[in-house]
Amino acid sequence: MSLLQEVAVGEPDPIRTPRVSGSTLRVVVSKVVRAIITLAFVVVFNFFLFRMLPGDPIGLYTRGRNQDAEQIAQLRRDLNKPLWEQFITYISNPFDPGIDSTRFSRPVWELIGERIWPTILLLGTAIVLASIIGIWLGIRAGWKPGGRFDKVSTGTTLTLYSMPEFWLGMMLLIVFGVGAFGIPGFFPVGGISTPGVDTSSPAGWLNVLWHLVLPCTTLLLIYLADYALVMRASLIDERKQEYLMLARAKGLRDAMVRKKHAVPNALLPTITLIFLSLGFVVTGAITVETVYSWPGLGLLTYEALRGPDIPLLQAVFLVFSIAVVGANLIAELLYIVIDPRVRQ
Amino acid sequence: MIRRMIAAVAAATVALAPAAAISPAQAADPVVFTVGMLNDIDSLNPFTGILAESYEMFQLQYATLLSSSATDFTPAPGLAESWEESADGSTWTYTLRPDLVWSDGTPLTANDVVYTFNRILDGRYEQRNYGSYVRNITSVEATDDRTVVMTVAAPSPIMERLAVYILPEHVWSGVDAKAVKSFANEPEAGQTLVGSGPFLVTERRSGQFIRMVANDTYFNGRPAVDELVFRVYNNPDALGQALIKGEVDFASGLTADVFSTLEGKEGITTYAGGYSGFNELAFNMGAALTDGTPIGDGNPHMQDQQVRLAISHAIDRQQLVDRILDGYGTPGSTVIPPVYPTLHVDPGTQSYDPALANQILDDAGYAMGPDGVRVGPDGEPMRYRLFVRSDSDTSVRSGEFFKNYMAAVGIEAEIKPVDENALFEIIGRGEFDMFEWGWVVEPDPDYQLSTFTCGKRSYEDGGEIYADLSDSFFCDEEYDRLYSAQAVETDQTARAALVQQMQTIIYDQVAYVVTYYYDNLEAFRSDRFTGFVGQPEGTGSLLFQYGTHSYEAVEPISADDGGTDPTSSPSPGATTAAEEPAETAQSSSSTGLIIGLIVAALVIIGLVVLLVRMRSKSAADTKE
Repeated sequence: MSLLQEVAVGEPDPIRTPRVSGSTLRVVVSKVVRAIITLAFVVVFNFFLFRMLPGDPIGLYTRGRNQDAEQIAQLRRDLNKPLWEQFITYISNPFDPGIDSTRFSRPVWELIGERIWPTILLLGTAIVLASIIGIWLGIRAGWKPGGRFDKVSTGTTLTLYSMPEFWLGMMLLIVFGVGAFGIPGFFPVGGISTPGVDTSSPAGWLNVLWHLVLPCTTLLLIYLADYALVMRASLIDERKQEYLMLARAKGLRDAMVRKKHAVPNALLPTITLIFLSLGFVVTGAITVETVYSWPGLGLLTYEALRGPDIPLLQAVFLVFSIAVVGANLIAELLYIVIDPRVRQ
Repeated sequence: MIRRMIAAVAAATVALAPAAAISPAQAADPVVFTVGMLNDIDSLNPFTGILAESYEMFQLQYATLLSSSATDFTPAPGLAESWEESADGSTWTYTLRPDLVWSDGTPLTANDVVYTFNRILDGRYEQRNYGSYVRNITSVEATDDRTVVMTVAAPSPIMERLAVYILPEHVWSGVDAKAVKSFANEPEAGQTLVGSGPFLVTERRSGQFIRMVANDTYFNGRPAVDELVFRVYNNPDALGQALIKGEVDFASGLTADVFSTLEGKEGITTYAGGYSGFNELAFNMGAALTDGTPIGDGNPHMQDQQVRLAISHAIDRQQLVDRILDGYGTPGSTVIPPVYPTLHVDPGTQSYDPALANQILDDAGYAMGPDGVRVGPDGEPMRYRLFVRSDSDTSVRSGEFFKNYMAAVGIEAEIKPVDENALFEIIGRGEFDMFEWGWVVEPDPDYQLSTFTCGKRSYEDGGEIYADLSDSFFCDEEYDRLYSAQAVETDQTARAALVQQMQTIIYDQVAYVVTYYYDNLEAFRSDRFTGFVGQPEGTGSLLFQYGTHSYEAVEPISADDGGTDPTSSPSPGATTAAEEPAETAQSSSSTGLIIGLIVAALVIIGLVVLLVRMRSKSAADTKE
């Protein structure tokens, strides 16, 4: 019994495993099943979505090629399989390594594999940093709402939040990339590494980190408000709760009341937010990727759309859906662990 | 192996050592010429890639039999040092230069040429990019190591324009007809690709850069720079900034606004070179299939030459150049741009003259209606759909200008913005009256001229109508006759006369209003590099040419020629002392890294201090 639960909850430490009843297991299973059903639906829907696009795929495929009408007509006859036959080919293995992009004539999964890591590196770092700093700011601001810290931090994060990503990115690029106002340009203008540097060496990692600073900072500054404001709002809510009065009445120091009683309860909405945003880590941040020429998945999607490169789009959408559905599932499962109310 | 290890150690030193320690190591550094561009390549496989950026890599990597001269695009020697058409026009004989070798030392012989051409002739996938070059070829044979004889079905001037990249048989024979479709042709583990051009691809990172090294065995001699790097920037502003910073030495394909901010910057020379592209306002001259069956729903007014002529007179081409292109272009006339001086012709009869336009319409029976819109002889108002490309800012803006120009002569244009893919199909089905788009014209005019032949109108296949090359549905017997004549005319002067006649027909019939020829906007660090060659010389683009002229000629500015003017334009920074700039860029990048790390460390220390202070402060709070 307990072994099963441990696997389902993903918490191997028996001491820390919350008391789990049979109903919890049912909740977990139903959530997993629901996620699988959603995914299955997405896989099927994905196929028909792109086939509903207006347009002549062969025309797009052959545009700009040195081919005459006769050769194109031949190609069209060759590739004109009935829809159900196409569907069976697709559904038998949506991850078939033989699916080639029409624009790049290379396996779509290979292309995605190349581009997914830069995106995860950029967005992952930005979201982790933004959530840590944002939560810290939110706690400070929310504990004494209306105080000086609150005014400054809320004002600043809101200002940053409302800045257009493109503009903020460009400003940081000009000031810290090229150099302005007497500040020398420390950081590179674009790319993920300097051409010719071996990125598998320690010097190469540093080089990548050095390229990461500006795009990551841009995203961090913009995402900050999300976490800070949600954390602040839920902490303000918690402050009104009676259990805090009890905690204070016990004679606990203010910092203890905040840390041990208010914050854990106020963290719940923020954790949901973090996991939901982690789902979008792979979708990339197309604006920042554009400003800093970061070779991520967002840009690949954009290039695929320009074609449109249907096999690539289809694969990219599949990856996005899996990431979002997966992150949602993790958030829901995590709730079972951190919020006892869900278990009942 | 040992060399690579040294390189790795050196790289580590550059990245980690303090700035002061770096300078001595610079002496042996290779000269790297870095080009920034706005698009990544789509493939390094010459049978797959179709983007201009990809073709640039192909021609650097693989030489062709013949090339195009920098002076005026005339056929020039490539791998072949001489070539000859037989008296009856049925065969062409190409003689290769003596002692050609591939970059790996294998001799490059006539057999490689035969292999490449046969591969295209026999392969369906391989024909995708080269179909039109080989259509006329019936056989390709090597009579000895240096002689290739091609037999053609009919005499053809294209035989002097075969832009087919000759591939090394000993490498490509390992890539069969099935594997070629997804063959990336990218270097593996530091190996360079075997080629015959001036530079060889040694590393490619998708979405980031392509790194090439100079080819020691190149037949025109090893280029002066050791490495050539193409970096991808995803927006023009960042590319401009990268040039200012010195991350790139050359910025290609700039937008007008970025270009003008770079003008006058120290050490940078901006260069607006003539380009082979034009934009046009096209008319639906009677959409039909190749057999003449009418299709679509074009307004019949558009078939009246007088209406099209009036619109042509109503359009202020100079204003479009000034306002849409910020002046970086020339007003348009015919469909072969002036960068091809031997072919271009400008009849010059359709000047901007709204009064004349009104006069023409009055005379043709299109009387002014009460609401300011003229009414045609058929009683229908002159109200037309004008499609513009929503994915192009210049197209959308041009549309607004066209609308105003036409309104001034009593024609109402209804602007319809759609994306290019959708427009392509709308045109193919003939469901438009006018649209705005453009073409880029190759040195050989055949392809461009073919788009106005009757045979290139839309066609039907399996009940569906598909677009071919014609988008104006122009169809003229005399024109088609001239087209067939130029296609077999191998005397360049005689052919040019035919080509000029054809341009004049299109111009007089007003199939297109060619609005402008746009410039290719380039900028480069004239304090570091010099020797660029324009094509055509003096006025044309410096890079992305037909041929690799600039790449072969470009050289770093050294102490003794510090004052040389790069190309025709004067450069304010050309006198900057030698070597120094490149060095500053290198060391400033590593200094930047070090400073960045220090800043990061400071931030972390600051955070820790802050946290500690907070803690003691909250402890103090509770004591109160």
